[in-house]
Amino acid sequence: MSRRPPRGEYIETDTGNKVARKATLVGTQNIMLGGKTVIQPEVMIRGDLIRSIQSSSSSSSSATPNNTAVAIGRYCFLSRASCLRPPGRLYKGAFTYMPLRIGDHVFVGPSSVIQAASIGNHVHIGARVVVGEFAIIKDYVRVLDETVIPPNMVIPSFSIVAGQPARVIGEVPEGGHEAFELRELYKTVGNNPPPAAA
Amino acid sequence: MAPLNPYTYIQCPCSDSASLGRPTDLTSPTSADGDEDNTFDPRAPRANFSLYPLEYLLYCEDCHQIRCPRCIAEEIATYYCPSCLFEVPSSNLKSEGNRCTRSCFQCPICIGPLSVTSIETPPPSSTLLSPDHAATPHSTYSLICSYCNWSSTEIGIQFDKPNGIHAQLAKLRNGGASRLTAKERKERRKELSHRGGEAAVAAAAAVAANESSGGQDVDLETQFANLKLFCNSQLADPSAADNGFSSLGDLGFSSPSSLSRIMNLYTGGKLHDPRAKSKLGAMREALAADEGLLESNLNESSLITRLHQSDFLDTASSTQICSQPPNLGEPHLHGASRFNSSLRPVPYLLRTKRSKRCPVCRHIISKPEAKVQTTRFRIRLVAGSYIPSISIRRLNLPGPNGPAAPAILGDLLDPLKPVHFLLTFKNPIFESLKVTLGAPATTPGRFPSKVTVLCPQFDIDANTDVWDEALKDNDRESSSRSRRRAGTESQFQVEVGKIWERGRNWVSIVVEVVPASLKLEAGQDVLKEDEDVLEIPMFVRIEWEVENGGDDATSGPGRDKDQKEKRELAYWCVLGLGRIKQG
Ligand SMILES: [Zn+2]
Ligand SMILES: [Zn+2]
Ligand SMILES: [Zn+2]
Ligand SMILES: [Zn+2]
Repeated sequence: MSRRPPRGEYIETDTGNKVARKATLVGTQNIMLGGKTVIQPEVMIRGDLIRSIQSSSSSSSSATPNNTAVAIGRYCFLSRASCLRPPGRLYKGAFTYMPLRIGDHVFVGPSSVIQAASIGNHVHIGARVVVGEFAIIKDYVRVLDETVIPPNMVIPSFSIVAGQPARVIGEVPEGGHEAFELRELYKTVGNNPPPAAA
Repeated sequence: MAPLNPYTYIQCPCSDSASLGRPTDLTSPTSADGDEDNTFDPRAPRANFSLYPLEYLLYCEDCHQIRCPRCIAEEIATYYCPSCLFEVPSSNLKSEGNRCTRSCFQCPICIGPLSVTSIETPPPSSTLLSPDHAATPHSTYSLICSYCNWSSTEIGIQFDKPNGIHAQLAKLRNGGASRLTAKERKERRKELSHRGGEAAVAAAAAVAANESSGGQDVDLETQFANLKLFCNSQLADPSAADNGFSSLGDLGFSSPSSLSRIMNLYTGGKLHDPRAKSKLGAMREALAADEGLLESNLNESSLITRLHQSDFLDTASSTQICSQPPNLGEPHLHGASRFNSSLRPVPYLLRTKRSKRCPVCRHIISKPEAKVQTTRFRIRLVAGSYIPSISIRRLNLPGPNGPAAPAILGDLLDPLKPVHFLLTFKNPIFESLKVTLGAPATTPGRFPSKVTVLCPQFDIDANTDVWDEALKDNDRESSSRSRRRAGTESQFQVEVGKIWERGRNWVSIVVEVVPASLKLEAGQDVLKEDEDVLEIPMFVRIEWEVENGGDDATSGPGRDKDQKEKRELAYWCVLGLGRIKQG
């Protein structure tokens, strides 16, 4: 993990986000970052896939339609070549995308594709994982490498899931909660990362 | 072979007899001579059941001891459905069983989640449907697997409403026919008895005729209901028939009292007849289908031909069959097919939130909040906040032939070449720790590797306040971590009795290992699974002092504030360092 990237590989924002210059963020105005989030090179976020049908309840506030396509919390880590894509479906006869919401301390492994409706806090998603459309992942969930989570699947808190299709294979132990914290990992990347921790 | 990440497993004291030694076990002699008589052998078959990663261990504050998943006592706090996340009251559990009774189902083929989808009814062809049908467009629903595309229409099941699928499914038999209700069953019986007359033989013939034409076969519920009705009538009128079993008296299968006793098991006493008539005589057996007699269909040729014609993949696996919930609306199990095409949607099994108790003092050591949606804990005494964590890193020191290649985790270890590992102990408590390590000079097992702990005794500073950690975040350049790091790794020298590096609440020490050669001598068995993994057992003893009464306010009025109480904890752990290169 201590591979030192060349100078200036990341853009560091005021809120502490570290976004790789080689990441592809489409429709940036529709992507919300909570801060202190790392976006590695070759990551793609499809902020352009916005909701084409506004829900009837919010139609009254016509001035500012909610166009958020992807909302990401604090201390998230999107590994190289992962992809975040809002899920889409037919709604009252017309096709529309729905927002993809991600909580705090969510790790997305390399080459994983996320099309969930929501991902909670403290979630670790391994490498080459596919999270199907409108899946819901609750808090403190560990998704092992190469898992395929079918569309619409709900994964309750403290689950360890694996397999194709995904099944709950275990429970996160009480002592395993702290391992989901990504503050330390956040510090190891960027343009001037400190030497690797002992 | 898969690379191996270094690991630390800790032994719970509940396996004490194992940790205190297995002196009679001669199959895997420990090679430690003299002082270490009872070295823990991580390869002993028993060790599998007592070693846990630190995260899996809890800690009892009253017993001052480690507790593991094997020895704690669990209590279920909440039952909930893992799919809709609704809590299920435990009273419902008794009546409805341990599955979600809403609309949550798993695919019987691939276990993926099923979702309710409306079926677009094809435009009705006027030749098939009556005019009144065509006039009302009726939308139906099916369960569809979003992973393998299985649909409940494949077993002929559709639903009228998109909600309450569980209740709807319970009424439906495969193929779409609805399950008989108690009332319908009664009516059918009446009809049957009218048609076939009073004679039982005639009724049986009628049923037999029905069966051969493939019409109404008797499902489990109907059979039970018929049998129950018949038995009740026999109990009420025991003198109706006497077929020679009366000599056996109450002991016979056909005696009313043993029957009522058996029935009590199933019906909870409702059938019990106050023993008035029980002595009167024996009952006769059921003779016809409407009395609950079910003739086994021994002619399975049609099933066999179907098996011949179908693929192996068309048959259901035993796991798939086992996961099927009992379905009373189906025909008798005898001759039931084992094809995928007969599998029904599987309602989700409920999941639980559980609190955990210490096995010795019965104090609760882990208690989640009861609400399904919250992840907070009221009590969560995890071992990781009481005993130091041990992390392992391979250390590559420059050899005499210039600087060493950077160490990569998961690299194979060269046999007979000394290799150094850095063990970092991190102190989670707010007191300084005195740590004493003990490890056998050679690892147990057939291939003893030499182990030297260069610094077996050291102190770790207390874990200071969390605010220090926060400050460190803003000021990471001058963090205590890098302060003591005078130069790069290569400038350090491995010294016996000296710690390698020290930080705010952690200490690193070096362990030198000479991996054994895995060369097999003549007559030796081949390498067993994971026998090439270099695992070293290590005995860890930690000592610390606590303010007397500081964490124990109930210890009495006469306590002395300044007096410090000494605490100690000792346990075995196993360090998995890596695999040794073979050949
Ligand atoms: Zn235990
Ligand atoms: Zn449910
Ligand atoms: Zn399926
Ligand atoms: Zn206890």
